Amino acid sequence: MDELEKLKAELKKLNIEYEKIRELPPEKRGEFGRELNAKKTAILAAIQKAEEAALDVDVEPIDITAPCDVNQPLPSLYPVSQGSAHPLMSELDRVISIYQLMGFDVLESRQLDDEFHMFDSLNFAKEHPARDGYDTFRTEEGLIPPAHTSTMQHRVLKKYKNKLDDGGEIAVVVPGRVFRNEDVDATHEHTFYQCEGVYVSRDCTMGQMIGILKEFFEKYYEQKLDIRTQPGYFPFTEPSLEFMIEKPKALGGKKGDYLEMGGCGMIHPNVLKMAGIDPEQYHGFAWGGGIDRLVMLRYGLMDVRYFESGNLNFLKEF
Amino acid sequence: MKISLNWLKKYVNIPVPDEELIRLIGARLVEVEGVIDETRKYDKIYVAKVVTAEKIPDTHLTLCQIDVGDVEVPKVEKDANGLVQVLCGAPNVREGMLAAWIAPGAIVPASVHEDAPFVIGKRRMLGKYDSNGMLAGADELDFGDDHSGIAELDPQVATPGELLADVFELKDLVLEIENKSLTHRPDCFGLIGFAREVAGILGEPFEYNAETEKHSIENQNLSITIENHDICGRYSAMVLEKHGEMKKKYLTWIDTVLSKSGMRPVDPVVDATNYLMLLTGQPLHAFDYDKFVAVGGASQPEIVVRLARDGEQLTLLDGREVELNHNDIVICSGEVPVALAGAMGGATTAIDENTRNIILESATFSLYNLRKTQMAHGIFSEAITRFTKGQPPYQTLAVAEQCADMLADGFKVATVADSYPNKEQPAVVKIGLEEINSLLGTDYSYAEFEKTLRNVGFEITCDCGKSDKCDCEKVNVKAPEWRTDIHIKEDVIEEIGRLLGYDNIAPVLPKHATAVPNAMLGLKTEVRRLMKSFGANELLTYSFVSGRLLEKAGLDLENSYKIVNSISPELQYVRQSIVPSLLEKAYVNQKIPHDNFALYEMNKVYQKKEWGLDDEGVPVEKIRLGFVVAERKGTGAAYYKAKFYVENLLGALNIEPKFLPLKVNGAPALPFEKKRAAEIWVGDKLIGVVGEFKNSVRRSFKLAEYLAGFEIDMGLMLELRGAKKVKDNFEVPAKLDETVTTNKTYAEVLDEIKLKYPGARITPVSIYQAEGARDKNITFHIEKS
Repeated sequence: MDELEKLKAELKKLNIEYEKIRELPPEKRGEFGRELNAKKTAILAAIQKAEEAALDVDVEPIDITAPCDVNQPLPSLYPVSQGSAHPLMSELDRVISIYQLMGFDVLESRQLDDEFHMFDSLNFAKEHPARDGYDTFRTEEGLIPPAHTSTMQHRVLKKYKNKLDDGGEIAVVVPGRVFRNEDVDATHEHTFYQCEGVYVSRDCTMGQMIGILKEFFEKYYEQKLDIRTQPGYFPFTEPSLEFMIEKPKALGGKKGDYLEMGGCGMIHPNVLKMAGIDPEQYHGFAWGGGIDRLVMLRYGLMDVRYFESGNLNFLKEF
Repeated sequence: MKISLNWLKKYVNIPVPDEELIRLIGARLVEVEGVIDETRKYDKIYVAKVVTAEKIPDTHLTLCQIDVGDVEVPKVEKDANGLVQVLCGAPNVREGMLAAWIAPGAIVPASVHEDAPFVIGKRRMLGKYDSNGMLAGADELDFGDDHSGIAELDPQVATPGELLADVFELKDLVLEIENKSLTHRPDCFGLIGFAREVAGILGEPFEYNAETEKHSIENQNLSITIENHDICGRYSAMVLEKHGEMKKKYLTWIDTVLSKSGMRPVDPVVDATNYLMLLTGQPLHAFDYDKFVAVGGASQPEIVVRLARDGEQLTLLDGREVELNHNDIVICSGEVPVALAGAMGGATTAIDENTRNIILESATFSLYNLRKTQMAHGIFSEAITRFTKGQPPYQTLAVAEQCADMLADGFKVATVADSYPNKEQPAVVKIGLEEINSLLGTDYSYAEFEKTLRNVGFEITCDCGKSDKCDCEKVNVKAPEWRTDIHIKEDVIEEIGRLLGYDNIAPVLPKHATAVPNAMLGLKTEVRRLMKSFGANELLTYSFVSGRLLEKAGLDLENSYKIVNSISPELQYVRQSIVPSLLEKAYVNQKIPHDNFALYEMNKVYQKKEWGLDDEGVPVEKIRLGFVVAERKGTGAAYYKAKFYVENLLGALNIEPKFLPLKVNGAPALPFEKKRAAEIWVGDKLIGVVGEFKNSVRRSFKLAEYLAGFEIDMGLMLELRGAKKVKDNFEVPAKLDETVTTNKTYAEVLDEIKLKYPGARITPVSIYQAEGARDKNITFHIEKS
């Protein structure tokens, strides 16, 4: 008798047991019933498992080296017209190629990192309220799916430090997927993309930082644009700013319309120090912003949830 | 936080239009989330004097004739004495009082921001009385919740016929400030601090002299013990003795300020503490003195500030009983906790209408402890919002004294006590003008630098002894006592850059070298281009998956990192493999329905057990290309389609794969059916798996039969990718077709053909097997290359 039949026989026996319940004194019936129910649940689960396993037993093997099955036509690819690239990814490609032409190397961000890179190396004091502002997820081990691409800043500084020693500058952008523990709606996602920029040299200034931002957005939107800033607060930059761009005409922008694009600032001396760079000799600046928003604006999308929906009705538009 | 511009203007001279002021605040101080326009909110609401008030029998109504001065409102008729008739339902209406009259055509202020604002009209009531508009209660005027009667106005400040808006400066703009952008600026959580910054932005000096610490400290009739100075930097307390009634009679300007700032007027003592908190940023708390002493059991108050013990109980003012933990700071009367410090007072010492004497507390507490308290007990009051920014200790006593002054009509100061053991020295930063200009990219003069800082309370001195412009390279900048955030020269540079306007910094481009392309991103871009041309669709799916999804795909839960604070069970595990997420999305798309599609995603995966940590101590991370092809009505072996995609993709990247029987276990191989799947090898490297899925897996995802997929390691793809070789022989090749009858595998026959035609290009044409035959015929197309 195979496993499945055995289980089914057991179930039958059990069902008969239920009739005994009437013979018991009322105060014992509850416990007896509970025991039987537990047994029944376990058997039903085992049956389901056995049935599933049975599905995988009688499978016809095929010649895995062949180009097609016997007596079947050779396979074909789907037509080009059916294909699509994800809009976030193709726009990110464009963002990166603009930065590359501006002299920036590229390093992709991690999707699982530790407290040191996410906070400590960025001058967040232990238990500082600013840590709460990032609504981070954590794993059982205390690892963090990063809430910002700045989690790569310390690595960038260390990896490219030799360029400073050679008289050059560090110029790197870090695209990547980041995560925030927040409720999802049309304008909020727990999973989204950012692109971070880091620049360090002997004599760089805030004027250069604003210059690079302006240059990037003008190239991205293919028109002259005004950049505005407002004071911000990040433990890893000092001074810290948030920046906005004039809404591009192509996106229906009128005079005086500004769009918040991200945060930026001069790298805090402690952050440089921790990466082994002397803040008395070098200055740096860094900036970061969301990619999802850029793409939504570009295509006039109203709901950020489309991006990770996997819905072909949406994706085939691209 | 809400900031009334009219209130702000009492402390700083503002020479620019409101619109420009708001822009400057946004550009140089803090994010302004919104501006509430209250300039029309109190239109057509006037001060009125109730001249006659006659009870209408058998109703709760009173027929009133009111004096509204010279005010003329369309359709409102005045009687021979120039009075207007209005019916009033409030019990406190009486002859001679001043009240606020909402004239017909005006909107009830409390309903201004509702979808359908309530417009007051002229109405006939009880069939015979014309009622013109209404006399308003404080709640209707949007000054608190008091609905017990109409609001009475003080004849000292209001005259009949005057616009209510003029009496209380109600034509106002209220700024909504994004608190997060001021996390490091506790001083700006008080109007004074905010006004000081506004003065700084406008380039104006700021003067504010509150009378400070005018009482002598006599720590005798009241003792303060701080058990641990890390949790409480300073504790000041005053005992106030009642000597007169402070019954609230009139609507006051303070009521309107509290309301505009998002708080509610309650009673004179609470209102005074709240008002001063809004003004100075320093929260205050009032205990009932006699209850406090009774709870402690001693003859006079013994205030003890300490950490709570785990499990200690405290009933709060709102009636909630909380279980305390060792992070909470408690105020005790002797041994007994009577308040959750910084968060909320306790029920046992609450002030009420019978309170005779009060203890006024003005203190600072550790923001770190209070943050935990806030989360543990879910308390998000205006006070704790301020404490958790780290209020500086310098003004605790002065603010308590201001409060005593405000309450002087009802209370007199009996005792003043203060415990301030470690007075902090303000930070002094050495800085030179050149350092500022070289970081900002500006050309500010010494005079601009000095004036800007002095305007907001910094002191500038030089070691050479000169007080004004000196020629030394660096000067000493001393932060004012309310600036606990100034430590290093970059902090001072931020002040200069911000107050003088970042928008005045000219954008320039730095020099740059040539970038080194990132090979992995290059590969991804190329795969994206190829797969699109192959008719496949690129997806992005979440990096977090459910335990159920892992189980459905036959994967080991223990091999996934688990998120402890996930949003939902759907997002609890970090994924080990891309393909299961695509199977889930294949179902979504088959349901829409889409008949035939090929989905793929390039993304990162982690395997906790299999891969562990890297040299840096963080989890090993790999980039995988996952792919699923599915057809709702397809028949035959989907394996070959998936394999064809592998061959085309790798072929375009000049990678030559071999397909060997699937033997490996673990992600990503587990969901695949071993009899109908293969390992993908390149040289001596296993780079991935391709094949159909187990029937059990396919069923659990509710997918149609025609289904296959693959998952390939992109790191290895990158490593193995070859350069395209172009043949230099472009002659028209000789062609022939050859058919082999065999029971061997395709690969074995192909090897034989290759030996027979060395160097030729060999492609398959068909594989035919007659019904019942033992052997099959494999036909190849052979071209000389």
